[in-house]
Amino acid sequence: MRRWLRHHRYAFLVAVRRLLSQPFSSLSNMLVIALTLATPILTASILISAQPVARQVSVSPEVTLFLKPDAPSSTAQQIAARLQADYAEKISAVRIAPRAQIYSRLKQDPAWADALAALPGNPLPDAVVITLKEQPDLARDAAALVQEWKKWREVDRVQHDSAWVQRLDAILGFVRVGLSMLAAVVALVVLATVFNTVRLQALSQREEIAVARLVGATEAFVRLPFLYLGALTGIVSGVAAVILAALALTPLNAALARLASSYGTQLALQLPDALSLALAVVVVAILGALAARWSVTRNTRF
Amino acid sequence: MIEFQHVFKSYGRGRNILADINFRIEPGEFVFVSGPSGAGKSTLLKLIGGLEPASRGSISVNGRRIDQMPPRARPYLRRAVGVILQDTHLLYDRNAMQNVMLPLTVIGLENSVAVTRSRAALEKVGLLGKEDMKPIELSGGEQQRLAIARAIVNRPSILIVDEPTANLDQDTARRIMEVFRDFNRVGVTTLIASHDRALMASYATRTLRIDAGRFTDMQGVAA
Repeated sequence: MRRWLRHHRYAFLVAVRRLLSQPFSSLSNMLVIALTLATPILTASILISAQPVARQVSVSPEVTLFLKPDAPSSTAQQIAARLQADYAEKISAVRIAPRAQIYSRLKQDPAWADALAALPGNPLPDAVVITLKEQPDLARDAAALVQEWKKWREVDRVQHDSAWVQRLDAILGFVRVGLSMLAAVVALVVLATVFNTVRLQALSQREEIAVARLVGATEAFVRLPFLYLGALTGIVSGVAAVILAALALTPLNAALARLASSYGTQLALQLPDALSLALAVVVVAILGALAARWSVTRNTRF
Repeated sequence: MIEFQHVFKSYGRGRNILADINFRIEPGEFVFVSGPSGAGKSTLLKLIGGLEPASRGSISVNGRRIDQMPPRARPYLRRAVGVILQDTHLLYDRNAMQNVMLPLTVIGLENSVAVTRSRAALEKVGLLGKEDMKPIELSGGEQQRLAIARAIVNRPSILIVDEPTANLDQDTARRIMEVFRDFNRVGVTTLIASHDRALMASYATRTLRIDAGRFTDMQGVAA
């Protein structure tokens, strides 16, 4: 066990020495990986920060049925009763918005009063506002119900008040796919960069590797410093990527805060939680070590 | 013990560098391998050290068939065989002590023990006091002795040496040969490739002569 630890300590120190012996080259490689990794971290930040917005809005999805203007006043009552009877499983509440009530409320609003005064009568239809029950596949269910209710004879138009949430969900889905592709790009960049770094290191350490083999070093002994080199490159790059992403969030959040305040709300992007970030760094370190192993196996056959 | 039976060595489809080599060296022997440049002396030593595989035939070192040994087992054989090649293969970015310590680091020896043993090896070859010097700061003879210290620090049972006195003046060559003699006296089987007839005349008890890949065993004579 102590011998094993001594080997690892030796390999670690050799890897650090090799990194420090070519500081500019090492830093350049790390910067490339860090910048590449910072992009999906920022994308994840946007995804994580936007998801609660969609979730929060979709807790009370409403569908409004606007009845035909010539429909008798009892029609709204009949439709409300029909909805409660036939769709009890999917509906949590039904509310009638009588045209007269809405008209008088709008007339009290100075923004609408003048426009309404110019009209010969009440142009508004009766409306039935339906609150749907929360369920896992709400967006798809709501869309199906909207299509069904549009066909009703008494109904003139159906407004799905949470349709924009669906759009947001679709955008987030798109971003999620984009994030997966970015993660794949990061993996490729890590593999290619570390592979090439280790290839150059292996070539420049040719003599040392030959001497180590001459005095009885196993292939594992020869490879271990390169594995540490790959893993260290991954760790340093990963940490640098998190720092870069955190730095980039400051101006982004300042701009976002101005935009959100114009809508009377507050919104700020947040980095993924510490565990996810640590996991990302570990994954990059493992990828670095794997690339190093692949490279050193291919490039030290002499 | 080193034993070759019908050993052939060629590179690719080229001509045989070594052809049908047969010999046996008993433990504790001091043997020269002689022959002109390009005769195959270095190749023979590399086969013994497991640095290159034979094309055909069987090679036994310390009772183990190295031609049948899987590649992952060869490093363990090399730890029992001290190899000093014509090019000393020193690490020029490390000092003398670090060069000598490398074989001990490879086997995972504790640092304090490795330092003690490395100092002892440096003392044996007359380089104590020069531990902190880089190989480039040492003379040709001292570099050769440093390579010897690195080869013997692991206490090998066999020492194989390729042209140890090439490019050295007579006095230095003689001092280096005395170092090998000393190791041989304590039981280390020593095999030296050389084409220096005067040197062999002074030290050889047995000479294996190779010429154009062919082989002659001359017991008790210098070739």
